[in-house]
Amino acid sequence: MILKVAIVQQIDSMNPFLAVFQSSTEIGRLMYDYLTAYTAADQTVTEGLANKWEPSPDKLTWTFTVPEGKKWSDGEPITARDVAFTYNLMLSDSVARTANGSFVTNFQDVTAPDDRTVVIRTKTPQVTMLALDVPIVPKHVWEKVSGIKDYANDQMPVVGSGPFVLTEHVAGQFIKLKANKNYWRGAAKFDELHFVYFQNSDAAVQALGKGEVDLVNRMAPAQFDSLDGKAGVTRNKAQGRRFTELMINPGAQTRTGEPIGDGNPALKDVRVRRAIAQAVDLDALVQRVNLGYAEKGSGLVPPVFGKWHWQPTEQEQRRFDPAAANAALDAAGFPRKADGTRFPLRLIGRAGRAYDEQASEYLKRSMGEIGIPLDVRLVSDNQLNEATTAATYDLAFSGWATNIDPDFILSLHTCAQRPGADGKGGTTDAYFCDETYDKLYAQQLSEFDEGKRVEIVKQMQARFYDQVPAVILSYENALEGYRSDHFATFTTQPAQGGVIMAQNGMWGYYGAEPAGRAVQAQGSRWVGLALGGAVIAVLVAVVVVMARRRNATAGERE
Amino acid sequence: MRGVGAVGGFLAGRVDRGGFLAQRAGVAGAAVLAVAALIALLAPLLIPADALDVTRVTDGAWQPPGPGHWLGTDHTGRSVALLMAQGTGTSLFVGLTAAVLAVGIGTLVGILSGHFGGLLAGALLRVTDFFLVLPALVLAIALSTVLPRGLGTIILAIGLTSWPSTARMVRAQTLTIEARPFVERARALGGGHTHVIGRHVLPSVVPLVLVNATLAVASAIVAESTLAFLGLGDPTRISWGAMLHQAQLHGAVPQRAWWFLLPPGLAIVVVVLAFTLVGRALEAVVTPKR
Repeated sequence: MILKVAIVQQIDSMNPFLAVFQSSTEIGRLMYDYLTAYTAADQTVTEGLANKWEPSPDKLTWTFTVPEGKKWSDGEPITARDVAFTYNLMLSDSVARTANGSFVTNFQDVTAPDDRTVVIRTKTPQVTMLALDVPIVPKHVWEKVSGIKDYANDQMPVVGSGPFVLTEHVAGQFIKLKANKNYWRGAAKFDELHFVYFQNSDAAVQALGKGEVDLVNRMAPAQFDSLDGKAGVTRNKAQGRRFTELMINPGAQTRTGEPIGDGNPALKDVRVRRAIAQAVDLDALVQRVNLGYAEKGSGLVPPVFGKWHWQPTEQEQRRFDPAAANAALDAAGFPRKADGTRFPLRLIGRAGRAYDEQASEYLKRSMGEIGIPLDVRLVSDNQLNEATTAATYDLAFSGWATNIDPDFILSLHTCAQRPGADGKGGTTDAYFCDETYDKLYAQQLSEFDEGKRVEIVKQMQARFYDQVPAVILSYENALEGYRSDHFATFTTQPAQGGVIMAQNGMWGYYGAEPAGRAVQAQGSRWVGLALGGAVIAVLVAVVVVMARRRNATAGERE
Repeated sequence: MRGVGAVGGFLAGRVDRGGFLAQRAGVAGAAVLAVAALIALLAPLLIPADALDVTRVTDGAWQPPGPGHWLGTDHTGRSVALLMAQGTGTSLFVGLTAAVLAVGIGTLVGILSGHFGGLLAGALLRVTDFFLVLPALVLAIALSTVLPRGLGTIILAIGLTSWPSTARMVRAQTLTIEARPFVERARALGGGHTHVIGRHVLPSVVPLVLVNATLAVASAIVAESTLAFLGLGDPTRISWGAMLHQAQLHGAVPQRAWWFLLPPGLAIVVVVLAFTLVGRALEAVVTPKR
């Protein structure tokens, strides 16, 4: 039994230390377990590679226990040394910190006194110690890797600890994984998991309708609507953990303060950024582009993570008001020129993504209203990634999936996440660098009282909203569909209104239950009978016709 | 001077076996083109700006054809009929400009290589061969990926990939003309390169070029639609290809919104057919032999 999943986004890397794209980290989660995991039912912390953990009284030393019996897919035992190796690699090699660096920046050292125990000492108390979303790699494979930067991690089958093992990857065509028979939770209930590439989600939705693939996510609202009532297809409308944002280049700089990229200097002015944000009609975007399958954007944490989610108060709220935006731009020293424009901006987005294509039209009109002609450029994934990492954009569409612990998404906006002098390293989202924000970030990282931490996290989001390095446009519903005639159930996370794909975990794929065999066998028997009958009927017809023709020729001969 | 006479004689019918007007299919094609051109010119003047503004439209999305929007509405609630009219201009403009660019390059390369011969011809022909063997669509896709998105890029991409056949044809014609005695006489009388090319070769290849250009427009329109359909066009400009792109991107097929898919497709077919008919008719008129 093969679970075929449609995939549209390209893979940036199979190397878990470099992989940033959602598609890549998703596959990373299938290949490698983390130290801890989140339950499917309610996203609370549960056993990952470690099954026990204990902070010291001063919260500076954490001891994790990796139990006996867990094995890598090649049969080697998983030990504490693998865990220590992974974290130490990230501590010693800045390239290895590219994707998940934020989790270890506060680490003092990581040791494995024996095969079962990992001891992590942190510089300051860190609250995310049970939310270290770092794939743990096998030491016996990775200690032979000389340069992380150029390592593609494509020695098939790739040794891992997750429920699936990567066995084949043809870029842009398919990714094949096999169920890991050594998986400590038990092997998945089906044999293989294939990710099949589609040029666009429309083709993927069509393939789902025809039964060529079993699972499709990130559907456009119109596509989701079109599957309503289709036989054999079940739809899943879930609260997404993603947000879509419009990044506004705030004058990108490297960690050392060197300006990089070619963002319009006008955008350095926070008044200009606020005016742009004010001219975007978020309600209209949700209603017309998302067709209502989304919630209006505000803070960095989506409402699915209720307690961390932030909503602006009446005073903080930036209402859609082009007139006020115009006035603000006038006041900021950017009057309209003779032709009615102030300054042009480029908007870059991903070609083939329905949201970008459609929302860019709205934004073009909205910006036109405030005298900013938009040059819309829709490009491929990689080009978009290049432009955003090199800061060669003015406005850009982006989006992030957030984790249960808000630390990661908040860390993306700290000064330290900006790239180094060579333009590499660090995963800044929008080149935001703000003293107030950074101070709050450090505070929340060592605040163990959850109520207080929630308050700080909300303050940070308010600061972000006020400084607008990016406008959070919407929290899209995750619109998924699956062949319920092939796979009866999928595990959603959270259990109520949860997603199947793009989870904080691998439960959706791992927990997929093939549809009952009995039903299928019966169905195929009927099909078989019908086919057999048809074949026999055709044969009989052919024989009859041949016989008659032979008779006819015989008659003619006489 | 024969070439000039041929150009002038297209419509009047002074050329050997009947003029353009005698070619019925060609006339029908020309009529279609006239209508398309009229729509293209009038659309921007007659369509109210708000009707195609996604932020201002009031109709629901995916409305089937009915009163008020007799070709239905698209995914944003804009009238497909109005989009069609608006797209006519883009499709024709890109088609024409790209064809002119392609035929221009082709003619230049063809005449130069035919006239001068030698090393220059060798070099030019190798370049021509290079572009000839490259699959035009792949090259155009590559170009429009590398260059910034926009109408100009599309025109450039099509123009740069579809000139080799014209170059070959023009070169052949140039060689034939230059072998004629009157060119030899002109040379003997002291006519330089400019004179020979400008006064003798060019007028003789113009009819061929014209025919070629007409046919090139047809393929350029198809190329534009292809690129736009693949999402490589100017994302904010309405063209028939872009409409097809949006239709498939936003799920017109699963929505069974045939009214968003068929009209642009048919329009492309009709206009391309019209250009081809006109081109063939012109060819029949100007081809020296036959």
